[in-house]
Amino acid sequence: MSHAGHRDDLLRVEDLTTRFYTEEGQVNAVESVSFDVRDNEILGIVGESGSGKSVTALSAIDLVDSPGKITGGEVWLRDAELAGEFRGDKPEAVDGDFVDLRQLPTGVRRALRGPKFSMIFQDPMSSFNPSLTVGEQIAEAVEVQRRASANPRSTRSRTQGYGLGKLLVDSVVPGRKYTSDESHERAIELLDQVGIPDPVERADEYPHQFSGGMLQRAMVAQALAGEPDVLFADEPTTALDVTIQAQILDLLRDIQQEQGMSVVLITHDLGVIARMCDRVGVMYAGEVVERGSLEAVFDDPTHPYTQGLLGSIPDVDDPAPRLEPIEGNVPNLLDSEMPDRCYFADRCPKAMEACLEHPEERAVEGDRRHTARCVLADDEYDPERALDESQFEGGDGE
Amino acid sequence: MIAPRTIRSLKRGLSRNALAKVGIAIVVVVLFVAIFAPFVAPDRPGTQNLNESRQPPIGFEKATTQEVPVKENGSVVFEDGQIVTENRTVYENSSWDHPLGTDGNGRDILSRLIYGARVSLLVGFFGTGLAMLVGVTVGLTAGYYRGKVDDVLMRSADVMLAFPSIVLAIALIGVLQDALEQSIPDPFVQTGVAPAFRSALGLPTGMPESTTLPGTIIVVVALVNWVWFARVARGEALSLREESYVKAARALGANDASIMFRHVLPNAITPILVLGTIQIAAIILLESALSFLGFSSANISWGFDIALGRQYQSTAWWISAMPGLAIVITVIGLNLVGDWLRDALDPGIEGEGGV
Amino acid sequence: MSLARFLIKRLLQGVFVVWGVVTIVFGLRVIAPGDPANVLLPPDVGPEVRQQVIADLGLDQPLYVQYWEFVSGIALGVPEGLFNIATGQPVGGLGLGTSLTTGTSVASRVGRSLPATLELAIMATVVAVVIAIPLGVISATNRYSVPDYGATLFSLAGISTPNFWLGVMLIIVLAVQLDLFPTSQRAIGIPGVVDLLVSGQLVAAAEGFRTWLWYITLPAITLGTYFTALITRLTRSGMLDELGKTYVRASRAKGLPDALVRYKHVLRNTLIPIITVVGLQLGTLIGGAVITEFVFDWPGLGQVLINSINSRDWPMVQGSLIVIAVGFVVVNIVVDTLYTLVNPRVGFD
Repeated sequence: MSHAGHRDDLLRVEDLTTRFYTEEGQVNAVESVSFDVRDNEILGIVGESGSGKSVTALSAIDLVDSPGKITGGEVWLRDAELAGEFRGDKPEAVDGDFVDLRQLPTGVRRALRGPKFSMIFQDPMSSFNPSLTVGEQIAEAVEVQRRASANPRSTRSRTQGYGLGKLLVDSVVPGRKYTSDESHERAIELLDQVGIPDPVERADEYPHQFSGGMLQRAMVAQALAGEPDVLFADEPTTALDVTIQAQILDLLRDIQQEQGMSVVLITHDLGVIARMCDRVGVMYAGEVVERGSLEAVFDDPTHPYTQGLLGSIPDVDDPAPRLEPIEGNVPNLLDSEMPDRCYFADRCPKAMEACLEHPEERAVEGDRRHTARCVLADDEYDPERALDESQFEGGDGE
Repeated sequence: MIAPRTIRSLKRGLSRNALAKVGIAIVVVVLFVAIFAPFVAPDRPGTQNLNESRQPPIGFEKATTQEVPVKENGSVVFEDGQIVTENRTVYENSSWDHPLGTDGNGRDILSRLIYGARVSLLVGFFGTGLAMLVGVTVGLTAGYYRGKVDDVLMRSADVMLAFPSIVLAIALIGVLQDALEQSIPDPFVQTGVAPAFRSALGLPTGMPESTTLPGTIIVVVALVNWVWFARVARGEALSLREESYVKAARALGANDASIMFRHVLPNAITPILVLGTIQIAAIILLESALSFLGFSSANISWGFDIALGRQYQSTAWWISAMPGLAIVITVIGLNLVGDWLRDALDPGIEGEGGV
Repeated sequence: MSLARFLIKRLLQGVFVVWGVVTIVFGLRVIAPGDPANVLLPPDVGPEVRQQVIADLGLDQPLYVQYWEFVSGIALGVPEGLFNIATGQPVGGLGLGTSLTTGTSVASRVGRSLPATLELAIMATVVAVVIAIPLGVISATNRYSVPDYGATLFSLAGISTPNFWLGVMLIIVLAVQLDLFPTSQRAIGIPGVVDLLVSGQLVAAAEGFRTWLWYITLPAITLGTYFTALITRLTRSGMLDELGKTYVRASRAKGLPDALVRYKHVLRNTLIPIITVVGLQLGTLIGGAVITEFVFDWPGLGQVLINSINSRDWPMVQGSLIVIAVGFVVVNIVVDTLYTLVNPRVGFD
């Protein structure tokens, strides 16, 4: 269980597996995914839509809803305080300063959202409650943390002592509210911090009165309310205009550096990855197929899928860009239709006989910082051993 | 008119939704007994037999001790000016001749339910059909022409909605009274098929030769409920008139009526039919309420029979209970079918109407 | 748009609808088959009286004159020149005219029966909301559990059960067999209780209130069940819909406790659209009240309507129709305003 990690590791996710139990059958959305997040870095997770990027992030912060379920894996968070607390009761969940969140009670995991983890989503308009003011929504995120620091234990109960009765009183009795004036002031500060002009006025406006870019800024402010250590940003710019995209990315980078926090940036856009990230993981069909430092992965891609992806972006320096879209479709991730072989073999230009066996993650040319789930990590493509389609048998649901 | 895609999504909805199957089964059974009433009814629904009055349903027979007057030669006996009574055990026997019991006049409740289903379904289907005809015509016209025509038609529809449906229905019946009552002959009885079938099986013969078609009620429920169809048809027409094939038809010089009924209507049919299913249920409920209130001329009807049973509410609960159960089961069946169609076809309408 | 302008616009629309209602009510006598006098008059009046009523009602006048008289009579309250059948004396009617069977003012008769109907409708709504919203919430937040199936089944049965039959069954089981409640009628109304209270008879007022509650329970359940089932259904599906939205996930991601997300965010947003549906369905509620009053012999507007149809007391029919429809229009304006006030997404336009 103890893996030799990097000394700056903040979060180590190991073999995380998430399934969705739908009417069509079991969907293997996240398949034995491992990655680590270090202090003060931006980790990119890149992949096509449907490759399991978002579910991976949701699984890491325990936000997978029915019919989805996390079925395996470990999520080690560096937190000396928690480690100390559980060392006696749950020694198997503690490793040095790290605790395995998957083994901790639900209440403890829930209380980590806000102060340890936070997340921003693709579409800011649907990520805010349309019938409350933006300020109020940020203030409640602040308020939760304020109350938590006043009474740490209460945060772990299901309702935090805030049930239907109190809610009714707070909404019916004039002058009573869940949020305090201090939280509102802090919300305005946060809005100011993310570059929203006239934060005092804007705090009292509703989401529909904001532009997409401003609202995405407000969402960043909301995510910062708990001063998280790791911020997951799920396609934060996809829904925005091109000109606004750059501003939001700059904001994320500035905030990351100011706060000294880590960001996990999920995107399908390799340009964004190249511009923002220190390290990157490439996902395909629910698996991380290649990961390593940005330079290692981008300059020396090992997995044919990564190579294909990189080949499909126009190169600014190359006047005649090679466009090599990868033929075929992303598998639908239905358990009944997933083959035993490498998931990419059917589309892979370099599939070999060894690919009939599902590959493990392995170090690329012995470099532990760069791994790929591919036989080519420590082998060369050999046309003599190439796989032809007749060797695919069953399992792909045709 | 029904695309294969539509059929596929209906089937998928059905395989996911066990309740939809229950709904279809209920509707099929009710339709079957209503159509073949003269074959399946165990007894004549209208023939009184006071000797068998108020027999309980199977499973509810009981013996009670009651104080009854002593009779000699058929007359009560007086002693010191008081009627002489004795305690006697009174048996309330049920029999398989009347599985759901008998009413206050000794008529077989099951047979009345079966014949009552005819009235309910006749009103349900004809009323919905008429409402659909009026509503769709108005709605298509409003949506197709837009502008002033639309304003006038749809504002009048809004005014109709200011009246609760039952209230407007009562007022209309007050005006029309029973001017439109019809009686339709029962082909199975007229041709002698049903009587022959019954005597071969040894069932009582002499089934009613005709069924009442409560024309006033049908017209009234249609006048009350057309508005829902108008709203849906208008919405469809408004969006379909912008479709290129409609514009093309207009450019080719097709006249408005033919565009509306040949191009717009077929493509608006799904939501209209889904609404129709829901409306049948609503109209059956409305009909039962009107006949319960005594506003229907049909002398065998679920609502009417519930009202008849009220005078026996302390002695024979089943007279009112059984027809009500028949209504509930039929309406549940129709609502389940309506839910299934709505979920599978997603025409974007909410359940509307009701008593 | 400001609230005042919104209200003015909505009221003008309301006035238009009321004019439409009045026109339809007038139109009813026009569509009557045969001589409209047959519909408008009790069947047992003598020929002289009949002639006089026809003259007084203006039935011998051209339609447009009749229509003008009718509309202006209602709008301005000028005497319609009706007369009392019992005494044969003409009486000046108020806007709504005079009853043909009792000779009393329609407006006052309708006015007297209004509190009974309002009490019933309000009680039914309260019962429905108090039961349905928690039931819908439990159902949606414990999906596929026993309570969820129970609530779903209840709501399916509830919207499929005719309320008059439910009323009859409640009477048979709870009033006749178990003798827990009275079978029918209204021994005392809220105005009566208030009178006692005002005159300082506190014990009698408390007793009166208890009696009122005792009498109204079964009618309120009868009238409220369809509504309860409907709101349960809407709350459940609305809440499931809302729970699937991204902002719920975002709220949890920022650390909000489940209860706060569930009630402050999700339930609130679920209830906003339910307000409009409930408003639209108030017509159903008033219609249901008519039948419920008939079943329980409850002395409200519905009773007046049914009795006057049966006795062909046409002015009374017209009066109750107009009052019911206007009531519905007013309630709808109130609901619309409320909806606009609680929902920041729609402005007053």
